[in-house]
Amino acid sequence: MTATAAPATTAVLSLKGVSKRFGAVQALKDIDFDVNAGEVVALVGDNGAGKSTLVKTIAGVYTPDEGTMTFDGRTTSVSTPAEAQRLGIATVFQDLALCDNLDVVGNLFLGRELYRGRALDEVRMEQESWRLLRQLSAKIPSVRIPVASLSGGQRQTVAIARSLLGDPKVVMLDEPTAALGVAQTAEVLNLVERLRDNGHGVILISHNMSDVMAVADRVHVLRLGRNNGTFHVSQTSTQEIIAAITGATTNAVSERASRRVQKEEQS
Amino acid sequence: MNSGQPAPGSQASLRESNRLRVLDALRVQGAMTQVEIAGQTGLSPATVSNMVKELDASGAVELAPSIRNGRRAVLVSLATGNTLLAGIAFGDRDVRVAIGTGPRDVLASQRMPLPADHPADEGMERAARLVHDLVEKVGKSMPDVKAVCLGLPAPVDSVSGQVGSEGILPGWRGVAVASEMEGHLRAPVVLDNTANLAALGELKCGALQGIEHGVYIKLSYGVGAGLILGGELFRGSAGTAGEIGHLTIDENGPVCRCGNRGCLETFIGSRALLDALTPTHGALSLREVVARALDGDPGCRRVLSDAGRHLGVAVAGLVNLVNPEVIVLGGLLSRVGEVITAPMLASLERCAIPSAAASVSLRPPQLDTDADVVGAIAVAEERHAAAEGLTAALAAPT
Repeated sequence: MTATAAPATTAVLSLKGVSKRFGAVQALKDIDFDVNAGEVVALVGDNGAGKSTLVKTIAGVYTPDEGTMTFDGRTTSVSTPAEAQRLGIATVFQDLALCDNLDVVGNLFLGRELYRGRALDEVRMEQESWRLLRQLSAKIPSVRIPVASLSGGQRQTVAIARSLLGDPKVVMLDEPTAALGVAQTAEVLNLVERLRDNGHGVILISHNMSDVMAVADRVHVLRLGRNNGTFHVSQTSTQEIIAAITGATTNAVSERASRRVQKEEQS
Repeated sequence: MNSGQPAPGSQASLRESNRLRVLDALRVQGAMTQVEIAGQTGLSPATVSNMVKELDASGAVELAPSIRNGRRAVLVSLATGNTLLAGIAFGDRDVRVAIGTGPRDVLASQRMPLPADHPADEGMERAARLVHDLVEKVGKSMPDVKAVCLGLPAPVDSVSGQVGSEGILPGWRGVAVASEMEGHLRAPVVLDNTANLAALGELKCGALQGIEHGVYIKLSYGVGAGLILGGELFRGSAGTAGEIGHLTIDENGPVCRCGNRGCLETFIGSRALLDALTPTHGALSLREVVARALDGDPGCRRVLSDAGRHLGVAVAGLVNLVNPEVIVLGGLLSRVGEVITAPMLASLERCAIPSAAASVSLRPPQLDTDADVVGAIAVAEERHAAAEGLTAALAAPT
């Protein structure tokens, strides 16, 4: 495990000592987590490790029982998803929540349509859609086709573009590459890098280690609702992270082995 | 102004720029219907219809029947004939794939980030899938791909077709890359080094065009060079010429991943640069170091300018040996510009023969990150032309 040296830049979003309990289940216990601007932090962990709970806590779906959240230098608490969005935390959930029957523009501006007088300002919305998609160098044939006819990667692109509407500081992506082919995965990973280059802080939740190692700067491992280490991708290996996810570094066998090594070194 | 071009502002020049817009849209998005082209370019459907008719008549695009939203539509794609060439370039942290009909005619390209320590089979499989996908995107099928060139950021032994050093690119050790890729793609695959390919790319359509003797230096996670001698790429007897990263700088220096000591890479490779910054800056990525140096961080600038100084010593050796007219410095680190080039030129002047140092000029790359894929397509083209020539020679009556 690598100790994290204090980052030179200040964190956009940072959580300290966050805990969340559902009845008898301690879903999160004493979680510390931070994201800097222009950085991709991957959040990984086994099933039931607390990834989704943490994401939903940041997104304002759950309120934590304990702990503080600092956003952009100010201590804040978010109690609703709308509040998180206003603050500048955008979330793209795994199911994307797109309306298949609406076109790309309709999806992007659903619920925050632009008006000119009483009528919808279709021209400005379409121009804005193209601007957002170009910013992501997205490959979408037309913004006036129903989302149903787009590929998985293109749908993901639309969902990410929608999250960028309020110009957020932090973008959370929940399993963006699950159920995508190689070419579409490539597109989404490029998108993640572009978000980072545009100065957004990106939180990437993924089970695919090769995607995580490809784009993340830091990897944050959760295990059974607790922190189980933060790794800098440039200084670690896939094996080390998987060991942290599965707890191979903390079980009885490996502890005994490390005690033996210590004893041998002393003698 | 070129006399062949229509006068600016005239109807003809507007038409010409609309034509380019349609072609550009097709290049970026792949095959599209006319309605989609209209949406993409912002031109009216009637203009697009005329334009497509004209382009079809001149043979610049191909039309194929298709279906969109349950209606019949005409799919427009760039004309390729039935010869496609593919270029694949592995970087240290990504793979870039492009297909085209020649180094100047790239039809579609895609990039995919890869983990630093990816195993060869994963990298190859992903690259192969990307090629399949791109071919489909331009409306072609795999048998149209006639030749493929694959570049690796490691010395490539052209005799055995393997990575020519044990410790460099460990995930690829002992893999018969060419034959395995041929299995994936069902087309002849040529293997080369990415620095060589980038040099070739810049020679064909970049900063080294028309240069007789030139050097391309790729300064990224590692450092490599491609040599252009007598207007052609010089690969050496076994394909490993230009491995500037493993020139010995200090006989008693640190042990390098190639197994020797004190190689240039142990001084200016990403590991060395990042390790030097760890005590003060914490763990950084190379990309962050570049970004901070551009922002004026003194520590990052110092480390990079030291790298430039070391590089200059090695380049001085190269200049003494080859006496090139032009040096092109490309790769991720070259983006910091002056920070690296100034100390590099200073030590070049100090260490090289004065006349050789005076006759060489430093140029920025023109193709940026695409140089190696473009070069790969150029190699694939050569390979294809050679195969064609061979079949023609065999078919010709003796």
